[in-house]
Amino acid sequence: MRIVAGGRTSDTIGQFGFLLAATLLVAALIDAALVHAALAQGTPFGGPRPGTAPVPTSGIVGWLFAKQAEFYRQFSGLIRASKADGSAAWSLMGVSFLYGIFHAAGPGHGKAVISSYLVANEETWLRGVVLSFLSALMQAMVAIAIVGLAAVVLHASAATMNGAVNWIETLSYLLIIVVGLRLLWVKGRAFIAAARDLRRPKAAVGAAVTPAAAVKAAPDQHDHDHGHDHAHDHDHSHDHGHDHGHDHGHDHDHDHAHCDHPDHDHGHFHGHHHDHDHDDASAWGHAHAPEPEELAGPGGWKRGLSAIFAVGLRPCSGAILVLVFALAQGLFWVGAASTFVMGLGTFITVAAIATIAVSARSWASRMASARSGYGNLAMRGIEAAAALVIIGFGALLLGGYIVNERMVGF
Amino acid sequence: MNKHFARTILTVAGLLAGLAGASAHPHVWVTMQNELVYAPDGAITGLRYNWTFDDMFSAFATQGVDAKKPGQFTREDLAPLAKENINSLKDFGYFTVAKANGKKIELKEPTDYYLDYNVKDTVLTLHFTVPLKTPIKTKELNLEIYDPEYFVDFSFKDVKEPVTLAGAPSACKLTIAKPQEAAVPPGQQLGEAFFNQLSAADNWGAQFANKISVKCP
Repeated sequence: MRIVAGGRTSDTIGQFGFLLAATLLVAALIDAALVHAALAQGTPFGGPRPGTAPVPTSGIVGWLFAKQAEFYRQFSGLIRASKADGSAAWSLMGVSFLYGIFHAAGPGHGKAVISSYLVANEETWLRGVVLSFLSALMQAMVAIAIVGLAAVVLHASAATMNGAVNWIETLSYLLIIVVGLRLLWVKGRAFIAAARDLRRPKAAVGAAVTPAAAVKAAPDQHDHDHGHDHAHDHDHSHDHGHDHGHDHGHDHDHDHAHCDHPDHDHGHFHGHHHDHDHDDASAWGHAHAPEPEELAGPGGWKRGLSAIFAVGLRPCSGAILVLVFALAQGLFWVGAASTFVMGLGTFITVAAIATIAVSARSWASRMASARSGYGNLAMRGIEAAAALVIIGFGALLLGGYIVNERMVGF
Repeated sequence: MNKHFARTILTVAGLLAGLAGASAHPHVWVTMQNELVYAPDGAITGLRYNWTFDDMFSAFATQGVDAKKPGQFTREDLAPLAKENINSLKDFGYFTVAKANGKKIELKEPTDYYLDYNVKDTVLTLHFTVPLKTPIKTKELNLEIYDPEYFVDFSFKDVKEPVTLAGAPSACKLTIAKPQEAAVPPGQQLGEAFFNQLSAADNWGAQFANKISVKCP
């Protein structure tokens, strides 16, 4: 990440960079939606199934893949055996646990979203682990609830269950996007605020020479010009209040015509600039980006719950098949126990990955703190980027670019 | 902040997305016994497939299907499910890539299909015939059967002849190759050309393709 220093340039480019990133993501989302519509196809033997994604064929991923399949194939035999022999149930639990570990270790959206979330939100290790646990637990419970309700209570068909899972899946992806957008809203503004903080000292000099009356007179454009125009207008400061106010209007028009012509966001950023002037209690003052300490406060748990809800909502395909099969053998409880144990295995892997994410973040944070102002900017940038990654994930999943796991989808 | 920043984000997102694509492992296993159907004039007219699903998927698919005798599904009980399966399979091109002399062959919708249930093994078998759009006489016919996403694992049934030719000219020679099987059946050579021709898709599932080749002089 490169940071362009220096007044106007850095500001404009910084905002531009953000707009660009946001625009590209929106474009990707729309594109995803269009492609999905174009490729919309059913699933063999019933249920929708999105497009394909390229998959590595060898290496660690290939190995994980082979292991999962190996464990998965043992499920049916062990469930059958549990009917006659209780000890087979223990073997089933062991295999379920391993399957959970390997299954979660294979790439999947859950870990990616949770890790990005932890990075974006400055979460502690402990909270990372707790969130991992809750999301794994929720996944298991959703699978049991779907099969329990649909198959046991309603005697629903496979097609109905597919429909339910697909509906839940879409909801889950939408929620991921919402969680990401919300984070971006908070973190993006914190980032912009950090970018502005870097220029603050210069602006402060300007403020010192500016009569308070002038500030009040043109509150909207005022501090925008301040930060930037100062270099220009410095010599004018002698001229005093009068001229100063005039200059404002002039300079403003100027900027418009020259620099910011291509994008129409001028007004928007004025607002942001304005909000930095803490001294007045305007509406913008409220919109000021929260400080990191505020984010890690008690409200953080609520946000954390929304993230695990979004991720944990989608049940694991394997778990549903195991549950239905166990049900057919008259051993629903064995299937339910197996599902929970799978969840435990999943938790261990996700918690390990969450630990890596949290450590990476605190490492970056230490690096950043060595570099005073820009360090803060970089951290806010990483957080905003992590929020964008979450949104990107949600969009790709929703668009079917990422084949999550062809559920039951059959 | 600048374009580098935006590019970094997109790169990271792309990377993660690529990785996430790899999450599927097969959830359904199909064992096949297939037959290639020929007309009296020696033209191939269709592919008669008998696909048996694994017990777990069979239990899932039959969930909620009403049977007169519990657990003993008849063809009639399973008729709606069979219809659904055939409809869905259409979207996947019946997981079949067929080529005559290296040129892709168009397939038609099956009209003749049913499901049956093996009570002893508790597995479903889908029987269906995929007709060729136009029957074709060809020197070399190549078929690949696989799921590009590898959600479904296909394999030949473990019998002496998992693929048979029905009414083919006697001079025609059949060769089959299991996925990732280096060994060439004794007395037969699978030329490079065989595999090169079948570059249907350079995707994950393709490496698990089951290959059928028929050469007629």
